Amino acid sequence: MATRKEPSPVSTVAMASTSGTLDSPVKQIQIEGLVVLKIIKHYQEEGQGSEVVQGVLLGLVVEDRLEITNCFPFPQHTEDDADFDEVQYQMEMMRSLRHVNIDHLHVGWYQSTFYGSFVSRALLDSQFSYQHAIEESVVLIYDPIKTAQGSLSLKAYRLTPKLMEICKEKDFTPEGLKKANIGFENMFEEVPIIIKNSHLISALLFDLEEKSTVHDKHELLNLSSSNHLEKSLQLLMDRVDDMSQDIVKYNTYSRNLSKQQQQKHQYVQRRQQENVQRQTRGEAALPEEDITKMFKPPQPPPRMDTLLIAGQVNNYCQNVKEFTSQNLGKLFMAEALQGHN
Amino acid sequence: MSRFFATGSDSESEESTSADELITKAPGGNFKQSLLLSDDEEDTKRVVRSAKDKRFEELTNLIKTIRNAMKIRDMSKCLEEFEQLCRAFLKSKTIVDKEGVPSFYIRLLADLEEYLNQLWEDKEGKKKMNKNNAKALSTLRQKIRKYNRDYETEIAAYKENPQESADEEEEKEPGDSGSSSDSDEEGSDDGVSAKAFLKKKPEATSEASKFLKPAKGSGDESSSSDEDDEDWGSDSVDSDSESSDEGGEGVSASLAVAFLKKAEKSGKEHVGKKKKTKKKDRPEEEAEEEGGEEGEGGWEKVKGGAPMEKPKMFAKGTEINVPVVVKKLNEILQARGKKGTDRAAQIELLHALAAITVENNLGEGISVKIKFNIIASLYDYNPNLAAFMKPDMWKKCLDCIDELLNILFDNDNIFIGENIAEDSENLITSDQPYRVRGCILTLVERMDEEFTKIMQNTDPHSQEYVDNLKDEGRVCGIIDRLLDYMETKGSTEEVCRIYLRRIMHTYYKFDYKAHRRSLGLQGETKSEQDQEESEGEDSAVIMDRLCKFIYAKDRTDRIRTCAILSHIYHHALHSRWYQARDLMLMSHLQDNIQHADPPVQILYNRTMVQLGICAFRQGMIKDAHNALLDIQSSGRAKELLGQGLLMRNMQERNAEQEKIEKRRQVPFHMHINLELLECVYLVSAMLLEIPYMAAHEFDARRRMISKQFHHQLRVGERQPLLGPPESMREHVVAASKAMKMGDWRTCHSFIINEKMNSKVWDLFPETTRVREMLVRKIQEESLRTYLFTYSSVYDSISMQTLSEMFELEIPTVHSIISKMIINEELMASLDQPTQTVVMHRTEPTSLQNMALQLAEKLGNLVENNERVFDLKQGVYGGYFNRDQKGGYQQKQNYQRGGFQSKRGTSSGNYQKDGYQGKQGGYQRGYQGGYHQRDHQGGGGGYQGGGGYQGGGGYHQRDHQGGGYQGGGGGGYHQGGYQRDHQKDHQGGGGGGRGGGGGYQGGGYQGGYRGGYRNQNQSNY
Repeated sequence: MATRKEPSPVSTVAMASTSGTLDSPVKQIQIEGLVVLKIIKHYQEEGQGSEVVQGVLLGLVVEDRLEITNCFPFPQHTEDDADFDEVQYQMEMMRSLRHVNIDHLHVGWYQSTFYGSFVSRALLDSQFSYQHAIEESVVLIYDPIKTAQGSLSLKAYRLTPKLMEICKEKDFTPEGLKKANIGFENMFEEVPIIIKNSHLISALLFDLEEKSTVHDKHELLNLSSSNHLEKSLQLLMDRVDDMSQDIVKYNTYSRNLSKQQQQKHQYVQRRQQENVQRQTRGEAALPEEDITKMFKPPQPPPRMDTLLIAGQVNNYCQNVKEFTSQNLGKLFMAEALQGHN
Repeated sequence: MSRFFATGSDSESEESTSADELITKAPGGNFKQSLLLSDDEEDTKRVVRSAKDKRFEELTNLIKTIRNAMKIRDMSKCLEEFEQLCRAFLKSKTIVDKEGVPSFYIRLLADLEEYLNQLWEDKEGKKKMNKNNAKALSTLRQKIRKYNRDYETEIAAYKENPQESADEEEEKEPGDSGSSSDSDEEGSDDGVSAKAFLKKKPEATSEASKFLKPAKGSGDESSSSDEDDEDWGSDSVDSDSESSDEGGEGVSASLAVAFLKKAEKSGKEHVGKKKKTKKKDRPEEEAEEEGGEEGEGGWEKVKGGAPMEKPKMFAKGTEINVPVVVKKLNEILQARGKKGTDRAAQIELLHALAAITVENNLGEGISVKIKFNIIASLYDYNPNLAAFMKPDMWKKCLDCIDELLNILFDNDNIFIGENIAEDSENLITSDQPYRVRGCILTLVERMDEEFTKIMQNTDPHSQEYVDNLKDEGRVCGIIDRLLDYMETKGSTEEVCRIYLRRIMHTYYKFDYKAHRRSLGLQGETKSEQDQEESEGEDSAVIMDRLCKFIYAKDRTDRIRTCAILSHIYHHALHSRWYQARDLMLMSHLQDNIQHADPPVQILYNRTMVQLGICAFRQGMIKDAHNALLDIQSSGRAKELLGQGLLMRNMQERNAEQEKIEKRRQVPFHMHINLELLECVYLVSAMLLEIPYMAAHEFDARRRMISKQFHHQLRVGERQPLLGPPESMREHVVAASKAMKMGDWRTCHSFIINEKMNSKVWDLFPETTRVREMLVRKIQEESLRTYLFTYSSVYDSISMQTLSEMFELEIPTVHSIISKMIINEELMASLDQPTQTVVMHRTEPTSLQNMALQLAEKLGNLVENNERVFDLKQGVYGGYFNRDQKGGYQQKQNYQRGGFQSKRGTSSGNYQKDGYQGKQGGYQRGYQGGYHQRDHQGGGGGYQGGGGYQGGGGYHQRDHQGGGYQGGGGGGYHQGGYQRDHQKDHQGGGGGGRGGGGGYQGGGYQGGYRGGYRNQNQSNY
């Protein structure tokens, strides 16, 4: 698969053109071909199955454009070397890169994904810390499976300012999220990507294309779909299950809450009645008690996970939709070809 | 501490009276005491010593007991002893006449009177006294007043000098010992006079001869004191060491040396004191409550005194008759259970008494009575309930019971019973039947329990255990004899009890003889033949007879329950599956066993396990699995079977609980092999689960048949490196994997091989038959699995091929496939002429399956979401519009069906509360397919199959749950093996008659939905 570098996206292709109104400091990302190749290579060498590879992006900001000029991978570390210091490694790496006169500014990180599953708490947390420290940081999501099918899939995401606010406050209660008016749609913003190849890279790609076999080249035309769909559905289903659970939890919570509200209300009413009675009898009113102490509101379930799941589900759906529409097109094409023969 | 020093120095000084006159530091108290003693001794030496000594010894002993009784305020004892004392005093009248009234006697009288008066005055204390004591007090007071009139002068004289008494009291113990032991020795030489002389002026110069002689005397004395008071630890040891070196030195030492020794001696004395105080700590513990100065001495004395007393008692009493013996017996027994009583000595005494009884030919009645008491005291020997008897003690007890039984068998005219009162006992006359109080049955039961305890507490892997186990034969023998006895004499309850004992010793033993007979006497191994010899009657017959008697006659539930369980166990052990199962079902024990006490529950668990293993041997895999499920699924089989404690629980329970649990353990020789159990369970689970998994690969609602089996599979999958299987579990897991692929040969080789044979299969009595059954099952189930898994890749497949692949005959293959087709597990048809199976290919593809699942899940999600919405809105209006869309509300309908069928009563409630949406235009039978629900809902309790047709829209297959399944399965299930009905997923399948489809039956569906619903409902 290492040879399956598609020449088609080599030219400057905007992978995503949505989200026109970006109010973040980065409006566009320009990626060196070298970075793309390095990321692909990294996954090729270390990632397998659902395992995820990660790395650091280096580059610099030019006006409202983030240029990513280099990257290096995080080493895959097993549980044996728990004392491995990642920060130390990064610093070391960046220092070394500076020595050879490469951009050494930290501008984000990249991560591979398995069938588009990347919207997770871990990603949110680390992207938040990145964006918190370096404002223009992005996370590049590389989908090796889609890439293997013939179309390079590389997407850049940033957290929306709203989400940043919430993360800063760590207020994941339903009320907090409601107040911030945040939904799964506006958690992440996608930044358009431009891939720019140096001549050397172009040369390398042409060279690779020469070498690749016919079979590799026509992966794009593969008609089989069920495997991919099954996997996607499986993952989707898992997420839906999680979602269901969360909803049940939330349901319980809100039911408890309303029940308690009712109790509280009754209690207050009773109190009032009693006080009225006492007044008529000429006695002193009952002392005020702290109602909040008597009725401790139930712990609201954190909603951030649900949001993330929703985002993930959305993501899966997009993927499936994209995939099926492509496949449908292919099928029609195949039919037409058959009819022609 | 000072008290001990005081006593220490007292006894020390007592030595000094006899041995070392040279002590200059003798304290004043000692001096006085010696004076008093010497008085006695001077009296003594002029009369015939033996007679006088004896009398006086008797008196002092009695006095001592009285004083003890006074201390503990035991008035009745006081009275009793006082009467004895008076009698004894009368007897020694002649001597007293000669000697004058002994001062200690007077002292006692004075003290006693004073004491009684005190008590009398103390109204508070009197109120607290119990009736007997109060009565005794008044009697005693009157008596002593009358009695003391005769000794008025003496008492008055004594009272003038009360100091004497105080000292005397302290010195009493040494005084006693002195009088008992010193006097003979001292009398033998004229040293006594010298000594007496010396005592009066202890500083007197000592002549060598005078010194030497008493020294020698002391040597003798020490040895003699050793003899008669073993328990005197402190005193005798001390005097021993001291006097011996004294003596040695005394003999060899010159006068000068003797004088020199003075200093040394005093030093030694201190050492001695210290030693003594230390030593006395021990008895002190025992005598703590008494608290008196001579507390420890007093109690020791009773022990020591007893053996002295007894021979005297009978030696003197020329007429040893029954009442005397009974009295003596009671006397001995009175000490029973009291603090500080030497139980060993008591047993000795009883034995001696028994011997005397036999010697004197007092009749069987009394010896039976004594025997009863011996056994009882043997049981008493170990005061700690938790601890077990020592095997030798137990064996003694066994002997006793044997003898007792001998007597009982030899003499028809002895009646024994618990309810015979002490008074109505008849021990004497032989023309009337003897009547003895006591219950041999209880004794034997206790003996049996002790045996169990011994077995529990012996290391099962030691030779000791084997030795102990050999005694089981004797236990059984005794029980058998008693059984014979009881059958003629006992009441039905007693007979039931002894029958149960017999059953408990029989039910877990495999009857090889009967087994071989049933096999037509094939030659078997030698060891089996040995066992066969030991087994007499066919145990099945015995069990049957005994159990049936109990069923008919027993009134206590517990005995019957135990008998039934044992009976089932025995049946199951001998592969009489149907009898065992029917008995189990008839007994209805599953319903209420949880109310039984733990030992019965353990027995129940054992029985269930045995039943399961039996079913497995018979090839009834499903039954085996169901029977074993409860025990195995908890993961606490060890604990549930009473075969060991789990370490996990250690911190949760305290020592007390642990002790109790330990007592419940089943002895090792009755254990059920846990590995065998687990293997049987896992193999059964494999045979059920693998085809099921293959059939339901894409079913979202698939439930596990056996959690434990899945757990093992997961463990197997988690292994980073799969080596060849080692343990039994690994074998099963490997076999399961092979079976999943339909590879029965590999599966077979994993299940049945050398390792597994030795670990598991060889433990069965009919090894080869079981193995054959197993191979057959593996072939069949592999075939099913293969068809499930690979049917999608075939258009058609020849039965011939299948038959060759799985080495099954074509008719078998045909029948298996037909069954699958009928159960709609396999979408295919049989083409008769070509003998092929033609696949219909109607099964949805995995992608379709997946999509269906997703749709269902989304339906759930939407529904849940609606609920959130409803809650926000506070109204249920939302349901109106969406009703038309169908989709998810199909599911609601379906769910409710499932719910209703599952939880008959609560569903109405639920509807009312939570389902108001229904009223708003939610019509029942809205869609055509739904009318089926009605008939299911009506089915109510019995049918677990409800609720399946919710999905019925798309799956025809789903209908299979239907009435037949639920009916058949459910009915069986009622009487089925589940103790724990919460395990819904086995519900419908419980019967096992419905074929593989059973597991699809409503049980699991309903369970799933019901459980889910239930959760929701509880929220409302």
